[in-house]
Amino acid sequence: MAGQTDPHISLFSPQEVEFMAEDELVEIVPNMNMEQLNFISGDFGRFIPQIPTKVPLWLAVALKRRGKCSFRPPGWMSVDNLTQILEAERESQSTFQALPFSYVEIARLLFDHAHDDIPDKYMVRSLVEDIRDVRLHKLETNLGSFQGTSAVKISNVSAMEVNIVRPFVRRALEAFYKHDKPEADIDRDTRSSRQQREANNEPRRPLRQR
Amino acid sequence: MKSRSLKFREAHKVGGSAAFCSILWDHKAEHFVTSSSSDPSISVHDGLSPSTLPPTILRHHQDGVTALALSHDSTFLASGSIDHCVKLYKFPSGEFQTNITRFTLPIRVLAFNGSGSLLAAAGDDEGIKLINTFDGSIVRVLKGHKGPVTGLDFHLNGELLASIDSTGTVLCWELQNGIVSFILKGVAPDTGFSTSIVNILRWSPDGRTLAVPGLRNDVVMYDRFTGEKLFALRGDHLEAICYLTWAPNGKYIATSGLDKQVLLWDVDKKQDIDRHKFEERISCMAWKPNCNALSVIDARGKYGIWESLVPSSMISPTVGIPDILPKKRNEIHNFDDEIEEELHGASESLNDSLVDSDDGESHHTSRKRLRKKTCIDDDGDAYEELNDGSSLPSASEFRKKSHRVHREKQYAGSGAFKSTAASTKYKMQSSFQPGTTPLEPGKRTFLCYNMLGCITTIEHEGNSRIETDFHDTGRGPRVSSMIDIYGFTMASINESGCVFANPCKGEKNMSVLMYRPFRSWASNSEWTMRFEGEEVKVVANGAGWVAAVTSLNLLRIFSEGGLQKHILSLDGPVVTAVGRKDHLAVITHVSDCLPSNEQVMEFRVLNISKMTEELKGRVALTPGSRLTWIGFSDEGSLSSYDSKGVLRVFTSQYGGSWIPVFSKEKKQEENYWVVGLNTTSVYCIACKHPEIFPQVTPKPILTILDLSLPLASSDLGAASLENELMLKQLRLYETQQRVDDMASTGVDTTALEDEAFDMEVSQDKCILRLISSCCSSDSFVRASELMRLLTLEKSMRAAITLVTKLKLPFLAEKFCSILEERLLEEANEAITNPSQNPNKEVVTRVESKVQNPPASVQTSENTEAVMKSSATKLSATTLVRKAKVSEGLKLGKEQTKKDETEDAKIKEIKKLNLIKIPVNNVNKEDKGLRKEVNQEEARRSSNPFLKSTV
Repeated sequence: MAGQTDPHISLFSPQEVEFMAEDELVEIVPNMNMEQLNFISGDFGRFIPQIPTKVPLWLAVALKRRGKCSFRPPGWMSVDNLTQILEAERESQSTFQALPFSYVEIARLLFDHAHDDIPDKYMVRSLVEDIRDVRLHKLETNLGSFQGTSAVKISNVSAMEVNIVRPFVRRALEAFYKHDKPEADIDRDTRSSRQQREANNEPRRPLRQR
Repeated sequence: MKSRSLKFREAHKVGGSAAFCSILWDHKAEHFVTSSSSDPSISVHDGLSPSTLPPTILRHHQDGVTALALSHDSTFLASGSIDHCVKLYKFPSGEFQTNITRFTLPIRVLAFNGSGSLLAAAGDDEGIKLINTFDGSIVRVLKGHKGPVTGLDFHLNGELLASIDSTGTVLCWELQNGIVSFILKGVAPDTGFSTSIVNILRWSPDGRTLAVPGLRNDVVMYDRFTGEKLFALRGDHLEAICYLTWAPNGKYIATSGLDKQVLLWDVDKKQDIDRHKFEERISCMAWKPNCNALSVIDARGKYGIWESLVPSSMISPTVGIPDILPKKRNEIHNFDDEIEEELHGASESLNDSLVDSDDGESHHTSRKRLRKKTCIDDDGDAYEELNDGSSLPSASEFRKKSHRVHREKQYAGSGAFKSTAASTKYKMQSSFQPGTTPLEPGKRTFLCYNMLGCITTIEHEGNSRIETDFHDTGRGPRVSSMIDIYGFTMASINESGCVFANPCKGEKNMSVLMYRPFRSWASNSEWTMRFEGEEVKVVANGAGWVAAVTSLNLLRIFSEGGLQKHILSLDGPVVTAVGRKDHLAVITHVSDCLPSNEQVMEFRVLNISKMTEELKGRVALTPGSRLTWIGFSDEGSLSSYDSKGVLRVFTSQYGGSWIPVFSKEKKQEENYWVVGLNTTSVYCIACKHPEIFPQVTPKPILTILDLSLPLASSDLGAASLENELMLKQLRLYETQQRVDDMASTGVDTTALEDEAFDMEVSQDKCILRLISSCCSSDSFVRASELMRLLTLEKSMRAAITLVTKLKLPFLAEKFCSILEERLLEEANEAITNPSQNPNKEVVTRVESKVQNPPASVQTSENTEAVMKSSATKLSATTLVRKAKVSEGLKLGKEQTKKDETEDAKIKEIKKLNLIKIPVNNVNKEDKGLRKEVNQEEARRSSNPFLKSTV
């Protein structure tokens, strides 16, 4: 990852995560006429007033800033849906509800730039914040239940959440691995040269091989 | 303000916080009654000498008394209390009669009807109880309020009951059937759950208006039937009004506010006359009958009398008491009568509804009619719904319901109402403005919506606000919003301006036409036209003209500046009209509706600038449907949409006919509200099923749907391809038609010709795909028909290759012969044409040469023969060669995979061929041609002369 702020702890800054999320497609209703835009990532448009079209979030924000379009809030950002998700999140302690991979960032960008296009914005905003808090708390408590494994599978964790727990999880797993493996290694390494292995003892290596 | 002090006496002890106290006079001013919500006792005072005689105390309640009511003849007193009981006493003796009813929660308000036969009681419970005072039976429970009901008042005629709850919502009930005649949501202040403050409402003594405290520290008067706001009394109250009472003659009104003031108003002048500031909030007031005096009681339980409050210079409040006797009907007791009446009313309104529902899906719904329609739910259906439903239907629900009712009634044609339905004659559709949604009070509605922009209106305090928006905010001019004093109901918009019109409402409000240009070099270039004894039905505008069609069947055409240019008399009553550039389409009725419920309508398309009629014909409609929209497509062809969801376009095919290019799928969850169309798709707003038109907020978005002809389901199983082909043929036909038109007028047509060529190419591609699907389903005749439809030689060759690959040699042979025929025809044309038109000869000859290299050109017969032979040779050889090559290549594959992969192969082969054919052609022809070109070149110059001699 070239653009990473600190490659050693594999952490992105929130701005970086947001930047990546800006490639998500959102639906906008343009209020201008414009020919198709041809980008490397694909062709977007053509833009006809009052006819919804899908564009990357960054383009939508840029158009919105110039007053050239209005957003159509994504389907999951309705009060009903969010209330359901929040309830479900609170109910089950182990699973996560399916939300877009970068829901925090999308919601944030929409609230920053297109708050006038969101129905019940205060409600939606507080719901998204609640969901985020619940999920984060859940994720952190779930981390406590790690047993001596070298792999963890949690589905439906979003970009921002992964980013927050990544450094810890990675180090923790590495530590698990380190503490688990030596005994196995000893059995195996008795025959081979143990000396060499110790000299070459990089914590990352075994993990990469997996 | 005069300083005047009132003498207060304590009637009830109020400890702690303020309480709601009541005061009431009997009709002869002999006694008055007081009570307090913090005191379980009721005091009956002697009105003549309250100071000397101690009041009679009635102690029957266990908790504070919140409500008192006296029947009009003052023979009964009712009291309601926080202890959930309603008690009835004889008056003035105060003898306890009965516990007439009980609630589960505190009572807040009581009211007797005019004859005293009915007592209405309400409170924190859900529902207002109507109690028969004779036997204590509950006649009806009116459910609909969402908060504690704090105010009740029977109308003088005993048929209406107004109620208000603490959230400030007013409901007016029709007692005859328990239906809500109007709802005013949140018009009064929200008093919360406090028992010391109540929301109040009072009918005026003449029964025409309903006075309700408003949100702006005022009193608002509403119309008795419609609930329309008439006027407001606004003055010196600094806080919300908590009590009001009309003077007996209805000329004055006394209001008490939370600001501890009591104001006296002259209702006719809408002015306050006098006021008095008290130490405590006045929680109740009562005019002393036959006297210019007002008794008041404050929140501390102290009462006083404000004597001669109306100045002597003004009419006394006791003069001119309206002589409206309460209708002496045994309203509620006589159930049989009532039911009969209800049924009668129901069948009557059913007739109405049958007529109405034919009437263009009732686009012009007024409040009154809405009310009527809810009545149609006979057998107390509506009544039950109102009683059962905890929430009141909002206006939109009402609308939905009315639609549902309509539909039910339409379906019920075979049921019990068959006789009425059969006797009802179907009505001609009323006129409508395309792109308009029906007006709804308190809501923003569309006056006009098209591909360019929209005009919306909302009624606000008697006037309407009109806003104009363009969809493309960058390009369209910015138009300021406008206050509309006329009440416009129709509008039309284009790039240069917008036109408005209103129907006439009575003699005072004439029908007015108004035009607002968006850009004008002169200031103030708006103009209006008034029509006396005439009503504008439809408006339209175009490039430099404005048109209005009126009730006198006159088509009036104005210039953009307001010059009256033409007045035409139309053949029949207008249905609708629409303009685009120079063209105006007007649709009129030709005759009455057919007995099979089919409208007979005619359209005319006029060219305004040339003053010509361009098209004329009948309007095609699905049986039993109404026209709901007309417009011009982006290309300028007239289109219509009917209530059964079929979109038609008028074409010049078959001497001018309508083609159904789109139809709504049956049983779909959405209704489409068409806005515009082009050659390939239709732009519409999708509305969830019971709704048939869009709301202004949230801003509707356009949906693009592909055109689809109502094709019969064919055995071919390629409906989408067939659909595509037909639409492409239609489009190509239209384009060629336009090319011809333009060519005849001498305009340069190269751009359109290029377009037509592109269309031909795409049409051929579509045909090739169809041929392959025909071949796979073994319909070879159809395939050969399709072969004949191909326009380009290249694609014909591709078709031959295709069938060869599919191992259909006989079809390939057939195709080859078709190709030969075609080439021959072309060659013939090429030869015959030049003789007629030597100028074009060179071009056509070059083409023919490229296609078939002729060996020599001597005579026409000779050429023909040579061409034929060469063409056959050429096609045959190409075929053989190509077939060999590809078969050789794929021999192994084809044997192993065989049929399963046939489809995939077809595609592959097609791709291959499309590439190969031109290559082959070029290669071959190059060899032969290159050499000849030079010779040909030399010969060509002499050719015209040679041909002309032949």
